[in-house]
Amino acid sequence: MINWEFCVAFIQASMIFLLAATGELVNQRSGVLNVGLEGLMLVGALAAFAIAAKTGSPWLGFAGGMVSGGLIGLLHGFLSISLKADQTVSGMGMWILALGMTTYLGQPLSGPLPGDGRLESVIAGLTPMFFIGIVIVICVWFGLFRTKYGLWVRSAGEDPSVAVVSGLNVTRIRYICVVFGGVMGGLAGAYLTLVYNPVWSPNPTMGRGWIALAIVFFSMWRPEIMLLGSFLFGFLWHLAISPSALQFQGIDLSYHFYRMIPFIATIVVLTVISSKKISRIIGAEKPAALGKPYFDQD
Amino acid sequence: MLRSPVNVTSTSPQAIQTARPVAGPYSHFMDLSKGEKILEMRGITKIFSGGVVANDQVDFDIRAGEIHALLGENGAGKSTLMHILSGLIEPDEGEIIIGGQQVRIGSPQDALKLGIGMVHQHRKLIPAHSVLENIIIGHPRTPIILNKHKAKKEISQLAQSFGFEIDLDAKVWQLDASEAQVVEIVKVLYLGARILILDEPTSTLTPPETEQLMSSLKSMVKQGLAVVPFITHKLPVVLDISDRITILRNGKIVDHILTEKADEKWLARKMVGKETLFDLHRTEVELGQEILKVVDLSAMNNKGFQAVKGVSFSVREGEIFGIAGVSGNGQFELAEVLMGLRKPTQGAIFFQGKDIKRTSIKKRWSLGIGYVPAERIEVGSVADFSLGDNMAINLYFNDNYCKWGILNFKKIYQDTEASIREFSIKTPGHRAKAKEMSGGNLQKLILARVISCRPRLLIVNLPTQGLDVGAGEFVQNKLLELKKQGVAILLISEDLDETLSLSDSVAPIYEGQLMGILSRAEADKQKVGRMMAGMVRSSE
Repeated sequence: MINWEFCVAFIQASMIFLLAATGELVNQRSGVLNVGLEGLMLVGALAAFAIAAKTGSPWLGFAGGMVSGGLIGLLHGFLSISLKADQTVSGMGMWILALGMTTYLGQPLSGPLPGDGRLESVIAGLTPMFFIGIVIVICVWFGLFRTKYGLWVRSAGEDPSVAVVSGLNVTRIRYICVVFGGVMGGLAGAYLTLVYNPVWSPNPTMGRGWIALAIVFFSMWRPEIMLLGSFLFGFLWHLAISPSALQFQGIDLSYHFYRMIPFIATIVVLTVISSKKISRIIGAEKPAALGKPYFDQD
Repeated sequence: MLRSPVNVTSTSPQAIQTARPVAGPYSHFMDLSKGEKILEMRGITKIFSGGVVANDQVDFDIRAGEIHALLGENGAGKSTLMHILSGLIEPDEGEIIIGGQQVRIGSPQDALKLGIGMVHQHRKLIPAHSVLENIIIGHPRTPIILNKHKAKKEISQLAQSFGFEIDLDAKVWQLDASEAQVVEIVKVLYLGARILILDEPTSTLTPPETEQLMSSLKSMVKQGLAVVPFITHKLPVVLDISDRITILRNGKIVDHILTEKADEKWLARKMVGKETLFDLHRTEVELGQEILKVVDLSAMNNKGFQAVKGVSFSVREGEIFGIAGVSGNGQFELAEVLMGLRKPTQGAIFFQGKDIKRTSIKKRWSLGIGYVPAERIEVGSVADFSLGDNMAINLYFNDNYCKWGILNFKKIYQDTEASIREFSIKTPGHRAKAKEMSGGNLQKLILARVISCRPRLLIVNLPTQGLDVGAGEFVQNKLLELKKQGVAILLISEDLDETLSLSDSVAPIYEGQLMGILSRAEADKQKVGRMMAGMVRSSE
């Protein structure tokens, strides 16, 4: 049965995707791909969990998650913007680093979060972070398409040489966006371990970062579609955890089958979306300079 | 000595006010009354890291209310000089004086603050963004929260005052070359430029578009702005538009002249430094049998839109069939279809009477179809290969050069050396890499390679684009020589003068359709120009 409880749970699951994808969307719009999104979330999740467990304050936990995610974003920025490393390789590095680090450092913390570190729900089972998250997404949409700074970010991602000629500092813009992406990734991780499932176990994100990355591509880099995509995948993800919500008469499928659904959906959706026909209908294309380091003319 | 910043004689002073929202610190020294010297460059020298002297003690000045053309071949140092002026490059020596004060221009923003704006040939626009977004992007007065309505009003007013029409909501990728150029011009004007530097402004325009642009530029200088176009080819345009001409060669100023005293021959001689121009050896030959016949051919472009729409024509032995058009009208797709690089959606292609619609590219080469692509660096050659290996790319299917799959490199290299001599290609030898060659020498090599395949039909796409006058003339004479030998040639060119002087038949192309097929005698420049712009269709 789909009841309100199920809905709350799936909305919480969606928020994780939404927050992470929002950050990734911004840094991709500026031209920097960070495939290490999963890693950002892991680091944020551990930092938030540890701080909230130690101090008993979920808000400090959120802050810690955001700062640590931002730091990993900064490291990715340093490698891929300043040192002009391959963005995919650097992003992969971030993920592997984070996976190893959080598994090792998180070992002593294994187990549920002590009660006073949890965020209590306020309205109809939803936590304040839900509302904050929605506000952030709206702000990002407005910022990207209605402000000067958004125009700068989009220009840096489309053609950095044009941006430079127009007097913009592409390096600075990209750094800011990549750190923002890191902060949002960290926040998504914090949301996971402080709200959605306040338990620490190794690799708590279980591929959510990769799906969030896919949602950015799925959205054709548009926040409004990304919002939809996040809820779609959040629904599928939660359905995979509690398939009893949709009971098909006479069909008894394995639990593993349901766990596959979000990932299969990712492959199908991305294949369809990336076809030339669809992208022409939507009229959106990926930022032209995405993934390309910018070399100053010399 | 605070003078009024603007002397507005135009009809719309308001628009001019919005034209310079970023009045730079020096702008009030700028006297924009006609004939006043507003900018002076003295003793500019720039030596690049390889030791290439791009500018050698160059003196140049700009006066208000004039069009001062900068003329020179590729590599003469025009771009360097103007890049110095627009802040992209800093000179090693020399000074720039604006309004009596020496200034340092460290960036394009510095240049704009001083009222200098540059319109690049390779458009500095973002295709995915709207025209409006492209124009306001670097504007310091753009508010944090964009006020598109206000900006639109200001910009369209400004554009109209110079006779430009632009759709601010269109995306830049939807625009054609001339519209994109207008956007760039309006952009720098909106940023406050009073000295407008134009890089090859007419190279991608049809003749009517060129006229339109010229009248807009003239209305600009009437309002006290200064315009500096720099131009490699198209001497008639220079003579038509400018008030003064300065000629650069090998980084030095050769001469300057008032336009009224100059003529085409004189300018050409000064540019090239020798008298070799306009000397095409054209021999009329009897046209033989039909080599290529195209019937109702259509094809898509890469974006999936119909680019070639029902084209029919034929080319005979010894005939140069010129397709005249501005890029993006389907001529490149047409060439690719004929060569087998692109699939036609309908129609038929006959080569010596045989349908070759489904014939492979390799087979087409062996049948005797040769192809000189427009992209000589990307498609025409492999940059990291030696000249000899670049020759071999096209000969592997030729029994003279390749037996049982084993290449006869000795012969290939011998023939490469022979071609280097015959085509007077400037290179140390067949071991030199393609990327080390200038455009002209590379094009000669590609032509030599294609000719060594002894084609019966030659498809040449933009054979002289970007080449300097000498190399261009060499290529054109080679084509005429092939014609004399009875080769059928399909010439695709954006240079109308070239098409008209070489071709036996001229077919203007517009939006994927041939607007008619004119014989050499019928094809005069104005008529073809209007057909290229889609304004008239020949009544056959």
